[in-house]
Amino acid sequence: MSDVIFELKNVKKWFPARRNLGQLLSGERKWIKAVDGVSLKIKRGEIFGLIGESGCGKTTTGKLIMKLMEPSDGQIIFNGEDVTHLDKERLGQYKRNVQMIFQDPYASMNPRFRAVDVLTEPLEIHGIGKSKAEREELAAKALEAVKLTPPEDFLGRYAHMLSGGQRQRLATARTLILSPDFIVADEPVSMIDLSTRAEILHMMKEVQQSMGLTYLYITHDLSTARYFTDRIAVMYLGKIVEMGYADDLIDKAKHPYTKALISAVCEPVSGKVNQSKEVPIKGEIPSAANIPEGCRFHPRCLYAKPECMQGEDPELQEVENGHYVACIRYKEIEEMGTSWR
Amino acid sequence: MRNDGNKAKKKTSISRETRIKEFKESLKEFWSDFKQVKYGIVGLVLLIVFILMMVLEPFIIPFPEAGERWSDITYWIDNPRSAAPAWVNWFSGKKNTVHEFLTEPELQVTDTPQFQVVEAEFNYNYKYDIPPGELTLKALGKGNVVVEAEIIRPDGETINLVRKNFNTRNETEIRIPLGNEAATRIINFGREFESTENSRNVQRHLLKPMEILFSKAQEGILVKPEPLKGDYRINVKAIIVGKDSYIKDPEVVVSGKVFGFLGTDDARRDIWSGIVVGTKWAIFIGLLTAFVSIAVGIMYGVTMAYFGGWVDSLMMRIYEIFVSIPMLPVLVVFSAVFSPSLWTLILFMCVFYWTGPVLTVRSMALQIKEETYIEAAHALNASTGRIIFKHMIPQLIPYAFANMALSVPGAIVAEASISLLGLGDASVVTWGQILHGAMKSSAVLKGLWWWIVPPGLMIALLGMTFAFLGFSMDKILNPKLKTR
Repeated sequence: MSDVIFELKNVKKWFPARRNLGQLLSGERKWIKAVDGVSLKIKRGEIFGLIGESGCGKTTTGKLIMKLMEPSDGQIIFNGEDVTHLDKERLGQYKRNVQMIFQDPYASMNPRFRAVDVLTEPLEIHGIGKSKAEREELAAKALEAVKLTPPEDFLGRYAHMLSGGQRQRLATARTLILSPDFIVADEPVSMIDLSTRAEILHMMKEVQQSMGLTYLYITHDLSTARYFTDRIAVMYLGKIVEMGYADDLIDKAKHPYTKALISAVCEPVSGKVNQSKEVPIKGEIPSAANIPEGCRFHPRCLYAKPECMQGEDPELQEVENGHYVACIRYKEIEEMGTSWR
Repeated sequence: MRNDGNKAKKKTSISRETRIKEFKESLKEFWSDFKQVKYGIVGLVLLIVFILMMVLEPFIIPFPEAGERWSDITYWIDNPRSAAPAWVNWFSGKKNTVHEFLTEPELQVTDTPQFQVVEAEFNYNYKYDIPPGELTLKALGKGNVVVEAEIIRPDGETINLVRKNFNTRNETEIRIPLGNEAATRIINFGREFESTENSRNVQRHLLKPMEILFSKAQEGILVKPEPLKGDYRINVKAIIVGKDSYIKDPEVVVSGKVFGFLGTDDARRDIWSGIVVGTKWAIFIGLLTAFVSIAVGIMYGVTMAYFGGWVDSLMMRIYEIFVSIPMLPVLVVFSAVFSPSLWTLILFMCVFYWTGPVLTVRSMALQIKEETYIEAAHALNASTGRIIFKHMIPQLIPYAFANMALSVPGAIVAEASISLLGLGDASVVTWGQILHGAMKSSAVLKGLWWWIVPPGLMIALLGMTFAFLGFSMDKILNPKLKTR
């Protein structure tokens, strides 16, 4: 088996946009390009972070990986097998190996289900465990794995009887119960109190190490990403603009968008709190229905030159060991240093 | 290993216990909410009354076979025709004789070598102003029997009424309408006390034997009788000749002008019995129709919402067709053509009533479908059936219950309407059938209000019961639906 567990090759997801009468008559089609050519490789056993603003297509990427929707184009390869289009049987197999933790632990569990129902449901679906008792025992073990102990106290509870952190642990237990290889965690801690965030992430990391899992960690939060992930890809308007090792990427960000993201992180440390921050970005994220020509970041980029505004989108290119950037001017920008003003 | 098994068992039992506990708690919570809704309590009380009526049916109706023999005129033969309820006496100055069955007489049996004499003495306390229509002597007899009857009035006068001979090979019912048979004797008895002038002037065919029998023996007994209240004794003597001959179950029926709790119709049927028997049918028709149609409607709505796209559009068009067909005219034509049984009628009502919850269910299901936990279930590879039945429909159960209660009245009224028009299942005594009978014999024109008001009122009351329950459930359960 190869080192790469998951590979996306130029994956696209375009949604048809609503057309007006003129467009309807002329047969013109418009697309909302939620994911517009994403290529990445995730290595076995690593935690891969996918970072971006809301609306940049990171959750859609997660859903494409989960096969909750079909990609418009491109290839998804899992364990060396093309899983872009699967028949029913193989899809069942695939969904057993690939699991997802959802952003909102309140909404991702049926309010009429008790913890034991939430946990035994995947077992029932995939026909694991011979009897109800056996499944419930597996459920109890899964609760132990996510440190909801003693499990007897939690099995009979409904989701609304649990705190946010407990719920996300339960959600994690649900994904672990099928012993998958790969877990998509879509902002698993963004809805959780700050105080329990680190705890949950720590638990997830522990589980990952003990079970040899691979995570795709989707987030908009750079700080948890740096804490949690091994490698990070930054997404902007449906495309990856920078990718590299977590520390490398954050300390030596090369793409102007990554830089902007990093400087937008709030600092709670004293002395820096009141320091007014200049975020090196302008404007709002454009609509995915109307992606700018040339570099898709140019309307917001403070370094944009005429050559950025025309021609093709810049491709990801390796600039250092394992560090990829999609910017034609990254070198010049680096030379400018912090004196960009 | 064994340890593990035990552990697992323990856990299961714990979770079952907690489940029961939770169920009890939620029930308690529901009840405390329910108590707040006043009309809900009214509905509940009414429902309990109706259920009691249903359960206690054999004990509270005087004619236990009313349901099966409703159209059998022989079953009702002893009842008065078109008699008002007994309690109208409370509101009128002149008391009508209440219909009564004199059973359990004092029996005396004398055996002689040739024959057997059975003497039966009936005591009747007459305390009314308007005399009975008839006194009927009834018994079961076989072989050669001679029946004699006399009446001893409170004033000591004795009138010999009849002497009749019966000779039957099989057991038959002996019926002797005493007033009719003894008319001449009774009138002659009256003439003894009446003045000659009055006696001559009065027209024979206008004289009512019963009126004379129960009036004071004085001048004017024929023209202006005054009721003689007190204890009457009817002595019946049967002479039984032959070995196989016998007589049993003697009974005197006092045909009153008022009868029972709700009177009788013009076919002598006891309306109270009909009403009670009709209760179970009304509830049955209402609940079954509501249950089936709501179940179908919910399935339909959820399926529409779940699949969406052209399936949704197609199902919506089909739904619209059913909605736009007016039910009653179609039901009338259908009933007239096929003269359906109760079951086909219920089925046919379901064909129209399932549309009730569809739109609401569809919109609710569209909302539920977008919930993250449905997406999570998809991510777990849950099948369509599992998502619909385990995740979506349970969310709609509270709504379904409220809707079910609310559609019960519609079904009851529809059945009643069909029956009223004479197109229902005549073999089943429903309130609609009773009303149909009333309509057919123009009870309104005849002023037989006790034949029309009770079934109508019962339909309204039962409808109200379920409407109240439905409204209150709607009020309690719907906000819960919105909160997680």
